[in-house]
Amino acid sequence: MNIYGKYYNAMTRVMNSLVQNIEENSRKHEAKTGEKLFEHLRYRIKDENSMLEKLERNGLGQTTHNALRSITDSIGLRIVCLFIDDVYENIALIKSIPGCTVIKEKDYIQNAKPNGYRSYHMILDMLADEPDPDGNTPGHFFVEVQLRTIAMDTWAALEHELKYKRDIKNQELIVSELHRCANELASCDVSMQTLRRIIRG
Amino acid sequence: MKVLFAEDENDLREVIKKYLEFQGYYVDAVANGSQAVDKLSKDAYDVIIMDIMMPVMDGVTAMKKIREAGNTIPAIFLTAKSEVSDRIEGLDAGADDYLTKPFAMQELSARLRALYRRKRDYKTRTFTFGNLELDTESSELRAHNTIALSQKEVRLLCCLLLNSDKNMTADELLLDVWSGEDTSPDIVWMYISFLNDKLKSVKANSQINAYDSNSYRITEVRDV
Repeated sequence: MNIYGKYYNAMTRVMNSLVQNIEENSRKHEAKTGEKLFEHLRYRIKDENSMLEKLERNGLGQTTHNALRSITDSIGLRIVCLFIDDVYENIALIKSIPGCTVIKEKDYIQNAKPNGYRSYHMILDMLADEPDPDGNTPGHFFVEVQLRTIAMDTWAALEHELKYKRDIKNQELIVSELHRCANELASCDVSMQTLRRIIRG
Repeated sequence: MKVLFAEDENDLREVIKKYLEFQGYYVDAVANGSQAVDKLSKDAYDVIIMDIMMPVMDGVTAMKKIREAGNTIPAIFLTAKSEVSDRIEGLDAGADDYLTKPFAMQELSARLRALYRRKRDYKTRTFTFGNLELDTESSELRAHNTIALSQKEVRLLCCLLLNSDKNMTADELLLDVWSGEDTSPDIVWMYISFLNDKLKSVKANSQINAYDSNSYRITEVRDV
């Protein structure tokens, strides 16, 4: 049996509805300004094996209730933007989506992690016309949204690769150079933002 | 510290070399300007001491060649002549200091220390202002976060930090950072904009403000 049990289809509908809302916001923005609000929007329901592994790693029983309540990223969205300002514009629009409540947010763009990681993380509580594991209808479903620029996305991809590779030669050197790259990419992101503002006058 | 020493008089060359080695310097001694240029193209030195009057290639010509090659090594001239024009020519060719023969060995040694100190301090200097830290060696701007700066941004910010007690005109900044470059004066406010957004992105509690639309100054701000 799937770890998400009978809620899997409801989760899919919650995810698709949120994606549609975000895409609709972007379309409206594009019609008004001629520019896209984001470059990529990726989404997924956490793979069963990853969820089972995560529950175990956190010392939680492998139950549907834990997967949907103790873990908050069973539904995940990643929005990749061209400019830093676009990240914040997307955040504001997501917050205005009906039935969406932000229960946790971390701005790693303004507060970069020590290794140089930058992104904006939000945990949303989506209210949907579906029963949830606590027996409520309409029910509550958690969604994790990560927003970042293309440069931050590139960096995170490489850092992810490093994290899951074992016995790398020059590990320490690579980590420190990766940190330097994060600072240079951030510098470029900010300069591009400044130039865009100057161009727009 | 590694010293390159160019002097054509054999006795004097040996005496000064011995003295400097006794002081703990590593010294390579050559007999004319041409050999000095040649040595510098192959090896790295911390300071060069050079006589002005030498056969084959004199010190001023050698100095010009060294600077044309982009080498910024601190240089001291030794000159037998005490004419003002001679010293001016030497300094204009790129020397940092000079000594008129005869001189006291201790003075040569003290001037070497001064030059080396200046070079090292300038290179590794870290500026602080409010909660910000500018590391000129790694070109990093740090406060709550860290961000990299371009070479021009580092120089511009250094200039503003060194003059935080006064307003700097765009012309002064242009002269300091873009000296000798064919560029529009608008580059100054554009780079001020870059720096201001980067100060904000690391949450520095300072901003560069414009005064009279044409002069700038970095000041601390209370609310970030």
